[in-house]
Amino acid sequence: MSFSPNGRWSGPADSMRPKRAGGGPSAAIIPALACLFAFLAGTTPWVNATEEAVTISGRLQLSADYALDRASVQGDPELNARLILDDRRTAWDLHAWIEGYWTWTDDDQQALAVKYFDRVYGNESRPLDLKELYGERRLAAIDWRLGLQRIAWGRLDEFPINDLFNPWDYDRFIVKPMEERKLGVPAVSATLGREEWSTQLVWAPWLVPYRLPDAGSRWAVTATELEPDLPARTLANGALGARVQRLGEIEGALTLFHGFDPRPVFGVRAGDNGLEPVPAFHRITSVGLDASAVVGPVSLRAEAAWTGNRTFNTRRELWPAPLPAAGNTDLTDGIEVRRDTLDYGIAADYRPFEDGLLTLQAQQTAICSRPDTLYEHARETLLWANLKVDWLNQKIETNLNLALNPEHAAGMLRAGIAYVFSDSWKTSLTALFFHGPPPSLFGRYAMNDQITWAVVYRW
Amino acid sequence: MNNFRRKTKKQAVAALGLLTALCLVATQALAMTGREIYEQVHALRIRALDRQTTFTMTLFDKGGTTRSRTATEYSKKAGEAGYKVLVVFQTPPDLSDVGFLIHARTFADRDLWAYFPEFKRIRRIPTTSQDDSFFGSDFSYDDFGGPPNLDDYAFTLLREEVQEGRACYLVEVVPKIQRKWSRYQAWVDKELFVHRKIIYYREQEPYRIGTFTAIRLVDTLPTAFRMEMHNLKTTHRTEVTLEDIRYHTQHPDELFTQRALERAGR
Repeated sequence: MSFSPNGRWSGPADSMRPKRAGGGPSAAIIPALACLFAFLAGTTPWVNATEEAVTISGRLQLSADYALDRASVQGDPELNARLILDDRRTAWDLHAWIEGYWTWTDDDQQALAVKYFDRVYGNESRPLDLKELYGERRLAAIDWRLGLQRIAWGRLDEFPINDLFNPWDYDRFIVKPMEERKLGVPAVSATLGREEWSTQLVWAPWLVPYRLPDAGSRWAVTATELEPDLPARTLANGALGARVQRLGEIEGALTLFHGFDPRPVFGVRAGDNGLEPVPAFHRITSVGLDASAVVGPVSLRAEAAWTGNRTFNTRRELWPAPLPAAGNTDLTDGIEVRRDTLDYGIAADYRPFEDGLLTLQAQQTAICSRPDTLYEHARETLLWANLKVDWLNQKIETNLNLALNPEHAAGMLRAGIAYVFSDSWKTSLTALFFHGPPPSLFGRYAMNDQITWAVVYRW
Repeated sequence: MNNFRRKTKKQAVAALGLLTALCLVATQALAMTGREIYEQVHALRIRALDRQTTFTMTLFDKGGTTRSRTATEYSKKAGEAGYKVLVVFQTPPDLSDVGFLIHARTFADRDLWAYFPEFKRIRRIPTTSQDDSFFGSDFSYDDFGGPPNLDDYAFTLLREEVQEGRACYLVEVVPKIQRKWSRYQAWVDKELFVHRKIIYYREQEPYRIGTFTAIRLVDTLPTAFRMEMHNLKTTHRTEVTLEDIRYHTQHPDELFTQRALERAGR
């Protein structure tokens, strides 16, 4: 075992990764959804059976990262393929969204293996990611959706406060658009609309855990890969949520969520090297509000949520800094504390000129009765500024993004330019810089400054 | 001498009569004020509000390359002075299912939303963005909205002109509200009361020219099947061709909700 010069784990991670025999509960989800699909397709009456009722769209993206810090773990050139299928020939609309990520040099990749829905680690060798797979029935007053789906609640960018149903894939999460980070969860959702009111009810019977990058990879946040024992897949461990929205001059919504916190937190468990941090899952209850309004030339968005019983780590250095090589005798079971939190934030979209969009966002997390042992301050602030400008009738797209976490003097700067060759072809160049102390949100990637080139084909 | 005087007098009376007749004709021709002409245009646009349109928008840049977008617009009159519009793109791939919704409570008071499937979120758009480029084209969001509030503009009939072989009123329109253009001059067909040509000005400089051709009657409503907007500053131009249009549609209110916007009008 050894550590790379940047302080990241560079040992044979596989030796620590629990090998998996058979499919387990994860493997059961996909066949179950496929059966649901087949059932819905086979038993519902055919309506509007036109050729356009089946659409297949997709995207191919070839990208390569150039690590500015040559001592950091290098990334591999990658091919990302996206396939989206919509079949609207039956009373149930069927929708599937699958993505594949193939790297040049990863010999461990199993070409057609689907990423786990019941494991935190070990997903990098499984290139296929089933983002969505659901059937939808649209009736006059209610829409039903059954299957693997992503729920989009809240109004803020990047870290929406009330968007709690879908855990994230933390592999390169910070360089991906928010919706692409989210993992689909098996759920039943119903949306009811009546005049200016709209209500969405969601029940997700199974927990899908967040995914963390494998130890030793470029975006790793932990030095070990101790797989947690997930909560039992019982109905009692499902998640429930409701969102009631009203349109008007000020558009507002009330959100309720009860389920497992999708944000990563660690407990400790005995591993090969003594006590090691292991991903943990805890239930939370959250009550939130969000609203949007237009004030003159500015479009305002705001969110707030009170969350009961959120878990924090007192030993924040466990994530991401590597642990001592062996015998973590200083770890105790007491690295988790539970506190109520109040999150709130506001964002403003403004067009300073035609084809330019400036977004400013500020959000804070206030931790009630914060113990001194927490790395997080009593108020943690996140400031975002984003300027997107299109040139020559959207032939050239530029984007400048600045993020700051002032309590820890941490930040991120992202600058990108894209050239649109045609309706299908586009190429882009993005530079990314991080700064801050290692345990901070951005500082943990301080060695990961990079320039990314990508070429995209869409159809 | 007397004969000469009588003859001259007769000629003078005839000339006066002719002049009077000419003045009467001219007065009749200019009998409509700019505002009245636009009331006719407005009435026609209101009659055309209940409709469904499928169109192709082609963008030409100065290098000669083209990009195209196809979209469907659903529109409905709502109340005395209100309307609702939903525009949903089918192509290109990165705009597929992107939508744009307008709820106009009155012609002067409207809410705008846009939906981007990539973000799965609906965003409100300030009405001050109504003059911004509509998805990279040379048309603006406002060009895809309903009729304007006439009281927000001053109309002046400049003269009559023949435009593309058709007799037109040339009307100057100056906004009383904040717009990103200072005025426009419009050639309004004298018979059909539709635009044939528009030149938009910023300060004194013309910057955008719109032409409206292939005008045909559909359900008694004159409809331009081809519209072109040319940006003089960028030399970029956009052509919109109507593929299909149906009037007197009776779309349900459910088609103009945020739910419908999220599901691309399906």
